[in-house]
Amino acid sequence: MTKITVDGRELEADPKKPLIAACHEHGVDVPHYCYHAGLTPVGSCRMCQVEVEEGGRPARVAAACRTPVSEGMVVNTAGERAHAARRECLEFLLKNHPLDCPICDKAGECKLQDYSYAEGQAEGHSAEPRRKLEKRKDLGDVIVLDQERCILCSRCVRFFEEVTGQAQLCIAGRGAHSWVDSYGGRPLHGNYQGNIADLCPVGALTLKQFRFQARVWNLRKRASTCGECSRGCAISVEVLRQGEVKRIRPRYDADVNRWWMCDHGRFAFEGATLEGRLAGARARGYAGLEDVPVDDAVATVRDAYATHAKHVFVASPWLTVEEGAALAALARGLGAELLLVSPPESALKDDLLHTGDPGPNRRGLTELGCAARDAAGCREALAGAETATLVGERVVDLVGREELAALPAQVRLFVLDTKPFEAPAVRVALGVPDWVERSGHWVNVDGHRGPIAAARPAPAGVRPTLQLLGELGAAAAAEGGAR
Amino acid sequence: MSARETYLLDRCKLEDSHTLAVYRANGGYKALEKVLKGGMGWAEVIEEVKASGLRGRGGAGFPTGLKWSFMPDPAKDPRTRYMAVNADESEPGTCKDRVLLREDPHGLVEGCLIAAYAMRLDAVYIYVRGEYRKPYDRVQAAIDEARAAGLVGANVMGTDFSCEIHMHKGAGAYICGEETGLMESLEGKRGHPRPKPPFPAGFGLWGQPTTVNNVESIFNVPFILDRGAQWFRSLGTEASPGNFLCGISGHVAKPGVYEVALGTPARQILDELAGGVWKGRQLKAWFPGGSSTGLLPASLIDTPMDHDSIKGIGSMFGTGAMIMLDETACTVRASQVLARFYDHESCGQCSQCREGTQWLHQIFRRIEEGRGTMADIDNLERLARGMAPGKTICALADAAAIPTLAALKHFRHELVEHVERGCCPFKKGGASAAPAAAEVHA
Repeated sequence: MTKITVDGRELEADPKKPLIAACHEHGVDVPHYCYHAGLTPVGSCRMCQVEVEEGGRPARVAAACRTPVSEGMVVNTAGERAHAARRECLEFLLKNHPLDCPICDKAGECKLQDYSYAEGQAEGHSAEPRRKLEKRKDLGDVIVLDQERCILCSRCVRFFEEVTGQAQLCIAGRGAHSWVDSYGGRPLHGNYQGNIADLCPVGALTLKQFRFQARVWNLRKRASTCGECSRGCAISVEVLRQGEVKRIRPRYDADVNRWWMCDHGRFAFEGATLEGRLAGARARGYAGLEDVPVDDAVATVRDAYATHAKHVFVASPWLTVEEGAALAALARGLGAELLLVSPPESALKDDLLHTGDPGPNRRGLTELGCAARDAAGCREALAGAETATLVGERVVDLVGREELAALPAQVRLFVLDTKPFEAPAVRVALGVPDWVERSGHWVNVDGHRGPIAAARPAPAGVRPTLQLLGELGAAAAAEGGAR
Repeated sequence: MSARETYLLDRCKLEDSHTLAVYRANGGYKALEKVLKGGMGWAEVIEEVKASGLRGRGGAGFPTGLKWSFMPDPAKDPRTRYMAVNADESEPGTCKDRVLLREDPHGLVEGCLIAAYAMRLDAVYIYVRGEYRKPYDRVQAAIDEARAAGLVGANVMGTDFSCEIHMHKGAGAYICGEETGLMESLEGKRGHPRPKPPFPAGFGLWGQPTTVNNVESIFNVPFILDRGAQWFRSLGTEASPGNFLCGISGHVAKPGVYEVALGTPARQILDELAGGVWKGRQLKAWFPGGSSTGLLPASLIDTPMDHDSIKGIGSMFGTGAMIMLDETACTVRASQVLARFYDHESCGQCSQCREGTQWLHQIFRRIEEGRGTMADIDNLERLARGMAPGKTICALADAAAIPTLAALKHFRHELVEHVERGCCPFKKGGASAAPAAAEVHA
């Protein structure tokens, strides 16, 4: 490690990383646009200029992203010369910027805005017409490009080249007459396009899905984990007001996804709606499934557990570790067979993040004693059971909606899922919260424990899965004790 | 100026000067033979070039021998080593290398071979400006001829020394003449200059140790080895020895490329070689070394043309390409034309350069067209100071800012006059605000 002094504070810096990384790692903010810790530094925006003194030479102003650290280096990020250099830089960057912040989705989290407030000057000096370019360039299903807002930092270009390994964007033209474009004007492809909207320091690249949806300062952010594959990317779930999930963005996690996530996970929340949900409980009465109080439904299931012998439980890979533990305890108490339904491998599997295993907590649940079976294996076990309990979101779909409907009526099927399911075998259906409504942990493919956090309340009448399992389990324990 | 000693252009005047036969008949490849067969070690060659005090002729005037000595020791660093010869001559006003490439290509080839021996290079790349078709063909022919004669390739002159020389044609961008932009271009990428550090000697072409030298610098090397550093030092000045090729252009009677000793007063070059200012007019202003060097007033024309003297009057020696403007020329118009050039040629990486070059051009154009304000003049100065010096990856922003600041320093009154009269006073009939219809970059 190299010892340097930044703003009067002695720091230990990694000699393999540029000065700006050392500053950021120690909480010293150095303004920047083109620099990103996950990409090769190019030193082109010139915004990260700081005063550097080394080797006994007088202080100079240097771009921190391309300055290697050296022993004894003294850095002043707030010096008058550094500040002036950044102020000049901002003036140039703003010369052709359209300043359409009131209609820009990036407003509120725009680095050009932030640093202009912090370091810029209130008054412009340009009397020239601004650059006219494409304002709504369609880059495919995910991204819209506003070439006028672009400050040509090239982060998006480098992302495709360096992270996905497939160059899709380029800077065309030269000098002030250049713009970001896709090769051959072709739409972007691949599962990682959304990342460039996060990378864009200004509002040039926006998600079609998020355009004009919300002002970012109205979003509440909850740190959570993506549930679309067993990678379990760290994410931030962003919710507008009381419950509408508006956006999901990756959260930095050095061991899992670093700064990135795939589009499949990014837009998965669109399926996690409040519509078509099973709220409360339904139980079989004389006229088929009827709405009943949850307590009554729980009692019905408890009675069935007490009166019948051969129990099978099938867990959804979306169950948390905590829920899995409660389920395992319940199964143990009843001497039941405990299975985990294992979804077929996804075609989205790649070398970057997507594991191809759509279940986020397969590892956590198998470690808790769930035996993984494919859908057919689960159905085989169910067919021979007296009571069969399916637990967790998507479990009915994973085991097979149609095949379950064909299950003989003598199997007493209890379903704890987010969506309603009607079939002759179903005795009780209990609504449970989905993954944006629960808290707990998932264990990813590498054994990394990622938190999931409730970002919005579950629909009225839906009890937490953990509570329901507890209620069923407490009953089983009580029965077992009495026996 | 009758007794001046010349060497650079001597062979160029001969018929078929580009052929191996003529080159050999006039002392060609003697220096190479002396180096390879005379038992000169590589260190001695570098020492000799260092001792000669040769300064790079590409613009910066960095000592060539010192640059060569930056190449790492191959015993400690076994990576492949390259030299790139910068023949992308694109500085406005500069046309000296073209003469050498076209008329005396073997001089360059011999220089490359000696440089390759001294720096223990694996290969040399000659990056020729795309528009230089004939010079390119001539150098290629010279390399082929030399290869056939056992001078290029494996076992040069039957010794252990081997060296390949490759040619590359540029695609017409000013920025590819910047050494790191040139390397990117050679690698097949866009000519975007690289931030330094790392410097080319440690991380150059394809990440390997590389030296980039100008054509004229390399061309001087065989003469230095043949005639000795002391001879070289007898020409020019103490700090800038040797002769240089002065491409003089603009409002002169006989524009062209002339060989003069460094330290020759600019007036002498103008009057004795270039035939003075044309049409019997007076000199108003001049660029000493290409468009990127600060514009100077006529009163400074007695300054000696060498690196330190020109630096002393607030400009730069650059490529030694003098551009002369007579009394009828408008310095605002000249500044506008140059600003347009830099606007067009900025690679666009750095914010200040990308936006600043465009901005300077827009302001100069408005002032020239009579639509400028006094605030514009102050703005020019503020912007130029925001762009340079040393605020960007390469020196293109400086190249645009320096002539701007020089024009403000020496010819502010002309800018003021444009603003006050609302037109260009040098246009015929003092035409007032003209529409900007013909502009390329609206």
